[in-house]
Amino acid sequence: MTTPRQEIELAVGFGKHIEKRKVDVPDGDAPPWDANSKFTVVGTDADRVDGLAKASGRAKYTYDINFPGMLYGVIVRATIAKGKLDVLEVDEARKMPGIAAVVLLKEVGNKVRFVGDPLCAIAGTNLDVIRDAMEKVRAQYTTEEHNVDFLQNPEAPVLDGDGNLIDAWPEHEIGGVIAGAEASHEGTYRTEVQTHSSLETHGAVARWQGDDLEIWMSTQATFGVRGELARALDEKGHKPASVSLHAEFVGGGFGSKFSAGVEGLAVCLLAREAKAPVKLMLDRFEEHTCTGNRPSSLMQIRAAAKKDGTLVAWDTRSFGGVGFAPGGGGVTFPQHYIAEVQKRGAHKDLVCDTDPPRPMRAPTWPQGYFGGELFLDELAGKIGIDPLEFRLKNDGQVIRQEQWRMGAGKFGWLQARNPKPGSPRDGDDPRYLRGAGLASARWGGMGNHGGRTPHGCTCRIHADGKVETRSGAQDIGTGLKTAMAMLTAEELGLAAGAISVFVGHTADPSGPAAGGSTTTPSLAPVIRHAAWLARQELAKIVAQHLGCKPEEVTFAGGKVGAEAAAKPMLSWADACKLIGPNPIETRGTRFPNYKGEAFNNGVCGCQFAEVRIDTWTGQVKVLRMLAIQDCGIVIAKKLAESQVLGAMIQGISYALHEQRLMDKRSGRMLNGDFLRYKITGPADMPPMECIMMSVANGHTNTSSVGLGEPPSVAAPAAIANAVYNAIGVPVRHLPITPDKVLQALAARRA
Amino acid sequence: MKPFTYVLPHTLAEAHTAAKKAGAVLKGAGIDLVDRLKERIEAPPEVVNLLPLKNDLAGIADDGGGLRIGALTTLRQIAEAAALQGPAFGAVRIAAGLTATPLVRNRATLGGNLLQLARCWYLRSAAFGCLHGGKGPTCLAMTGENRYHSILGWHDCVRVHPSNLAPALLACGAEYTTFFDGKQERRPLAALFPDEPTAQKAEHTLRDGEILVAIHLPKPSGDVRSTYQETREKDSFDWATTAAAVQVTLQDGTITDASIVLGAVSPVPRPRAEAAKSLIGKKPGDAAFLKAAEMAVAGASPLSQNAYKLSLCKAIVRAALTEVTR
Ligand SMILES: Cc1cc2nc3c(=O)[nH]c(=O)nc-3n(C[C@H](O)[C@H](O)[C@H](O)COP(=O)(O)OP(=O)(O)OC[C@H]3O[C@@H](n4cnc5c(N)ncnc54)[C@H](O)[C@@H]3O)c2cc1C
Repeated sequence: MTTPRQEIELAVGFGKHIEKRKVDVPDGDAPPWDANSKFTVVGTDADRVDGLAKASGRAKYTYDINFPGMLYGVIVRATIAKGKLDVLEVDEARKMPGIAAVVLLKEVGNKVRFVGDPLCAIAGTNLDVIRDAMEKVRAQYTTEEHNVDFLQNPEAPVLDGDGNLIDAWPEHEIGGVIAGAEASHEGTYRTEVQTHSSLETHGAVARWQGDDLEIWMSTQATFGVRGELARALDEKGHKPASVSLHAEFVGGGFGSKFSAGVEGLAVCLLAREAKAPVKLMLDRFEEHTCTGNRPSSLMQIRAAAKKDGTLVAWDTRSFGGVGFAPGGGGVTFPQHYIAEVQKRGAHKDLVCDTDPPRPMRAPTWPQGYFGGELFLDELAGKIGIDPLEFRLKNDGQVIRQEQWRMGAGKFGWLQARNPKPGSPRDGDDPRYLRGAGLASARWGGMGNHGGRTPHGCTCRIHADGKVETRSGAQDIGTGLKTAMAMLTAEELGLAAGAISVFVGHTADPSGPAAGGSTTTPSLAPVIRHAAWLARQELAKIVAQHLGCKPEEVTFAGGKVGAEAAAKPMLSWADACKLIGPNPIETRGTRFPNYKGEAFNNGVCGCQFAEVRIDTWTGQVKVLRMLAIQDCGIVIAKKLAESQVLGAMIQGISYALHEQRLMDKRSGRMLNGDFLRYKITGPADMPPMECIMMSVANGHTNTSSVGLGEPPSVAAPAAIANAVYNAIGVPVRHLPITPDKVLQALAARRA
Repeated sequence: MKPFTYVLPHTLAEAHTAAKKAGAVLKGAGIDLVDRLKERIEAPPEVVNLLPLKNDLAGIADDGGGLRIGALTTLRQIAEAAALQGPAFGAVRIAAGLTATPLVRNRATLGGNLLQLARCWYLRSAAFGCLHGGKGPTCLAMTGENRYHSILGWHDCVRVHPSNLAPALLACGAEYTTFFDGKQERRPLAALFPDEPTAQKAEHTLRDGEILVAIHLPKPSGDVRSTYQETREKDSFDWATTAAAVQVTLQDGTITDASIVLGAVSPVPRPRAEAAKSLIGKKPGDAAFLKAAEMAVAGASPLSQNAYKLSLCKAIVRAALTEVTR
């Protein structure tokens, strides 16, 4: 059943900022929700639908998939950082007991580009026999001089002893603007490599039946990797007749699992050769060193403002510390402060002989926001204006203007600020310094319809009352399943717990990769559409039974019926009994985003942090954090908050702890394990609060915008600003470890 | 790991006989050992599990002369022991409670904690070969990445002794008993660690097959107090960057006895006798503590990347002394 194409007037915006906007709703789409929509399920804090399964261990991740006769696979990797592979002998390994297959992944004569570059893969009955066999693989190389420190790249800029970039700025009229301004400032900022640390490492289980390939993979792109594998296997002469992929539970991805990777291809080839199912999961060291990272960065910023705090010029040059090839090392500065000012920016990636970057939660943003927001606080200090005032003055976004005010009130900004940076607060032990900081977040994430293969979703209603909603897209922990249940429940007048959700099987309708905060905004309108279509099918059946018009049938509180009808309302179960043996099955469609500007093309957020610094030991303790964030119309409140809180934790980790430490001589990572690669743990987590703002954007029938990336943008910057407020000198190099704090304190004293 | 023969002894003597065989190793909970086996930096032909002897080798009891803590007592038992609740042994209790994670503390034994292999990232990786590991000509950390390494009392290897319990027990005047060739022998705890901790020396002085049976703590007399503090990069489990255990005896507001032992700064836990002596006869106070802290790092020679540890070490001595005399 379709509705005619129509122009609908929607209320878009939030709170008091509601505007009327006409949108062109495509034929057949569900009537869009807007700021005036009333919900019973959407926006509530329903529990994560698979929370119990995950917490109790019943959820089966790729790691947990086992088959009788299944073998294990391991990749043998290069032990040098740069050179050429001269010899690769695997015959002896192949003959070792328990070994079933060996496949080559690098040809003799090829380049070796980093420690961990794959050479070959081995399958055997258990990991110990494989390790024995790995010791028999003979690889010889012609080595070349390597470099694993991006600042040792010959094209790296020159720094002084304090880490400041000292090369002159390239000539440009902006130099004159800055020189002639009422206030100006300059600083160099630096971040270290953050490695991917999903709890579930990369890997897969592959099983061939004849030429049909079935694969279970820890991935954030079910359909993408299926296609990728089919093509790669074809190139290797093993074209599969079919590939079906499962990723029902995925233990995190954060941007590192868009590709099947060499491990995905290797496990399929091993399973083919061994004629048995093979499981190949990377170990933690491989995860740290071979699955990408957030690259390091060096940023120099200079800018100018009027005495009243209005920014007038913004000039940056930045460098990204990438792997063996350029790309992916960029930094993104907060644009919403400088939309109107004169600006310039230059960037260069500096290669070194390590594994290359991969997207990591808001790739390029946390770096640039750390540098940019800390810089702004330093400049605000020079002008003598409160950082919040400074933001309000320059922030061009109406949503965030509201968020700043709301957050400042809620957080107690003025009371939390240390009025005398570097001095203890009244009543505190003078050993400790406290301070508060804030920072902004921004992201797009409006979602897409999938282009040539529009996203789909199936909704089924069975005669026994069961409701299924199915998407082939993956839920990497972000909560797609719960959103599916809630959207479907909303349409059908049921509770979220009444809906059975299936994701991650490529037999179901296609969906996007889980990246760029696009999954929910891409799929929410489809999921809703499928449920809305199913509801209309059921309405027709019920109307016939009740003797009313389908439009008169209502779905609410588990009851189906029509007030006008002679017969009483039906319970959900009784209504479904009318369906008969063939379930109602509908296929939702993702229509393109409505034409015209959405209310706000993306999302806004801001975060506040209070820290305490132990001036004796240099340790930074985050005392509390607050986030204000929007993501369009909030679907699952609890999960949205969980996204934000998780990002704040990750932000603490990036700000204070995480860094890849490399042995320069061997080119090998030294802290590639969870004993030495430091990640924030429970005892480091402060009380954190998140307030979600609901904003109707009017760009799809659900007005939902993605939330994965934005909250991770602000946290490190807010913490760095709080440290600056506490000790009175900025620590311009993440992570802010005790040694750096002590150094900063010593420099201030000097 | 490589296959090995697994021995489950019924008696200490049986365990000792098995462990004396060439290449055999003893195992407590195995938390340290199994890591080494999985990383393949060691491949012993025989592993002798001491846990079957738990009945005799675990638990804390007053044996008349003081407390006897069995070598197989878990860190959690130590952290929560009623017998250690008094101020005299605060250092031991706190050190145990700060170690690793709750899961590790539930299993890890006192013996294994004291005798564990150093945590140097070069030593612990099969990808490197270093002098202490017996697989290379030099100490790789000395000229390599050494932000977590020694600042004091190192020779040709700059590993640090990783045990939290060692400095705490040393500060409290502990002794230890071992079993060897049918005999139990008791010595001051300092004898468990080499005097000159060169690369060739192991982390401890036990002979092949010698079994650590128990640790003894003397009965405190007078107002004896101890505490343990460490600096770290984060609060959820982390290795100490520096650690200090202190014990003082107070009489009429004056310090009459003191000991200061540093951890995580040297290849062995380091008693700082001169620094401790400087406190004797003094009233507790920041000036005295600062001086003792200064003296505690006297003669330090930090490496290229770890001079920051000097400040930390001083801070932690000062903080521990402040806390223990409060
Ligand atoms: C995540 C993590 C964090 C950690 N953090 C810390 C920390 O902060 N501070 C700290 O001190 N430690 C820390 N540790 C180390 C941990 O405390 C030790 O690994 C543990 O105490 C070892 O005890 P075990 O019983 O498992 O020893 P095992 O692994 O069984 O043995 C260790 C060594 O001692 C020998 N041995 C054991 N018992 C005896 C005995 N009775 N007689 C003779 N030889 C014996 C073994 O032969 C072996 O060489 C950490 C460990 C982990 C996994």
